[in-house]
Amino acid sequence: MNALVAISDLVVDFRTRQGPVRALDGASLAVREGEKVGLVGESGSGKSTLAMALGRLLPPNAEWGSGELMVAGVSVRDLEGAALRRLRSHTLGYVFQDPIGTLDPTMRVARQLAAVMEAGAGAADVSSLLADVGLQDHHRIARSYPHELSGGMAQRVSIAMALAANPKLIVADEPTASLDASIRGQILDLLVSLCAAHGTALVLLSHDLRAIAHCCDRVAVMYGGRTVEVGATAEVFAEPVHPYTEALLRAAPGQERLGGRIEPIPGLPPILTGRAEGCAFEPRCRHRIDACALARPESSEIAARQVICHRAEERRPAAP
Amino acid sequence: MSTVARYALVRIASACLTLFGVAVLIFGAIHALPGSFEDVLVPQAPQELRDQIAARYGLDRPLVEQFGMWLGRAIQGDLGVSLITQQPVAAEFARRLPVTVEIAGLATAIALLVGVPLGVLSGLTGHRRLVPATSRLVGGFAMSVPDFVVGAVLLYVFSRYSLWFTIGEWTPLADDPIANLRGALLPAFALSLLGIGLVLATARHATISVLGQDFIMAAVARGKRPGTVVRQHVLRNAGIPVITIVAIYSGYLLGGTIIVEMLFSVPGIGRYLIFGVLNRDYTVVQAGVMLAATFFILLNTLADALYAALDPRLAGSQGR
Repeated sequence: MNALVAISDLVVDFRTRQGPVRALDGASLAVREGEKVGLVGESGSGKSTLAMALGRLLPPNAEWGSGELMVAGVSVRDLEGAALRRLRSHTLGYVFQDPIGTLDPTMRVARQLAAVMEAGAGAADVSSLLADVGLQDHHRIARSYPHELSGGMAQRVSIAMALAANPKLIVADEPTASLDASIRGQILDLLVSLCAAHGTALVLLSHDLRAIAHCCDRVAVMYGGRTVEVGATAEVFAEPVHPYTEALLRAAPGQERLGGRIEPIPGLPPILTGRAEGCAFEPRCRHRIDACALARPESSEIAARQVICHRAEERRPAAP
Repeated sequence: MSTVARYALVRIASACLTLFGVAVLIFGAIHALPGSFEDVLVPQAPQELRDQIAARYGLDRPLVEQFGMWLGRAIQGDLGVSLITQQPVAAEFARRLPVTVEIAGLATAIALLVGVPLGVLSGLTGHRRLVPATSRLVGGFAMSVPDFVVGAVLLYVFSRYSLWFTIGEWTPLADDPIANLRGALLPAFALSLLGIGLVLATARHATISVLGQDFIMAAVARGKRPGTVVRQHVLRNAGIPVITIVAIYSGYLLGGTIIVEMLFSVPGIGRYLIFGVLNRDYTVVQAGVMLAATFFILLNTLADALYAALDPRLAGSQGR
């Protein structure tokens, strides 16, 4: 399988009134065709910035620094005009957090769907697309306005829109966070099974580690704008190498043993104003050593994972 | 009862109540003015003559009785005769109303033609550029200079140099449309300045707020052209507040034409009303205000219908 997405050492700053804020501080990630990759990390870790950078959808106050971002063999930062629109419309498909808000409130579902399909697509194509995402009542839904749909239905419509042009990669930014807990699983399963059926790769951003464990082949843990641990989901979650991954798992509900406690991570995520000179997690890390604050850790390969930690070697998991 | 019928019934009932309230208020107000009809008509006459005149028009009866008589006839469609000219008031208004409606309509059209493009454009192009700076200047100027000042300047300039326009003569639209326009455009322009300012500011803010919505970002993420995004999503969604302000503005114009009608000697209802108030011609004032209130209610109903057409979310909520 070929690399569909290749991100290396990507740096993105946001210009703000209080000076620059570094959102990505050398993030690296590769996604192969058809692969499902989870992105996890606290709010502010750079997940969304990375996801939006894939389609060059960063707000105007974002500044691309060094590093590379290649999607399907082209450098995204250099794309403009028609080529950029083609990347967005044919290579990528986005699914966002608030499904009703991402649909135009003044247009019927059928018209919005038809607008993203190939020219000449008719009512039958719209219906079959809606049926594909599990909307059996597709005649009624095609005639509906977004506010007449439930969140789950609207998210199914959004998924249909994202898949309409048969993209190579779906980027889903917290696609179930605003939905009822009871249908989150259904929506995620739908997304995963449709991606599998179309051979579409998936980048799934979520706070829900169980969902990531359930859906994704690989996981990238982000902290302070860097991808601190990237590896196969099952292995990373079973034996985390990076202390942040470990802390994140302990803080997540549903992972604790009976009678065990959820342990929140003390402190707050950092707000970087420039390149971190040490490890960004150092102040909150229970395994820190003197070197952590002084030297910037570089990526090392440990047990088929990329880990950015000074102590990665000592924390190598026991060989299976 | 269907929801539409019930909705219509509620609207009609509330309109009747509003009109009744307006009728009571204006009846009270004109009779509370110092100086009665006979005082103004024959100031030097002996008391017997005054009493005679008052008795002839029923002005010596208690106010409540006068109001009851007026209301009884008004419900049957009889607005009475002018105390001064002895002409039926309804016919006088029917003759003058088209003139006022024409200059008010022209002013609204100018406000929309200038305000919407400038407002949308300046909303689209951000903050520190030439277009928004210019249009804010135009908008600020238009709103802050009163119409009698602009009217006086126009009168001065175009009385000296006719430049195609005519001043002080009014040709009915049906007689000669071109000659009519030559007389109507200048007063309409003087009236339209406030409208330009209002529409421009509203369209600008609406555009900016729609651009911040998720569905605009989602449309960009789907690779739509900027022009397509504006046409399909921004204009329609930004139209709703513009309709509100235009409805309010046209309602204001029905009374707001008075000064411009006086300045440019336009034979509309404004001038007629002013003379009605000066002469204490009670039936004229009463009928004129009722007419304006009716128009205001009709305009608001029209605006509500337009909202529902533009924004389906409002269509269901109006009956409640």
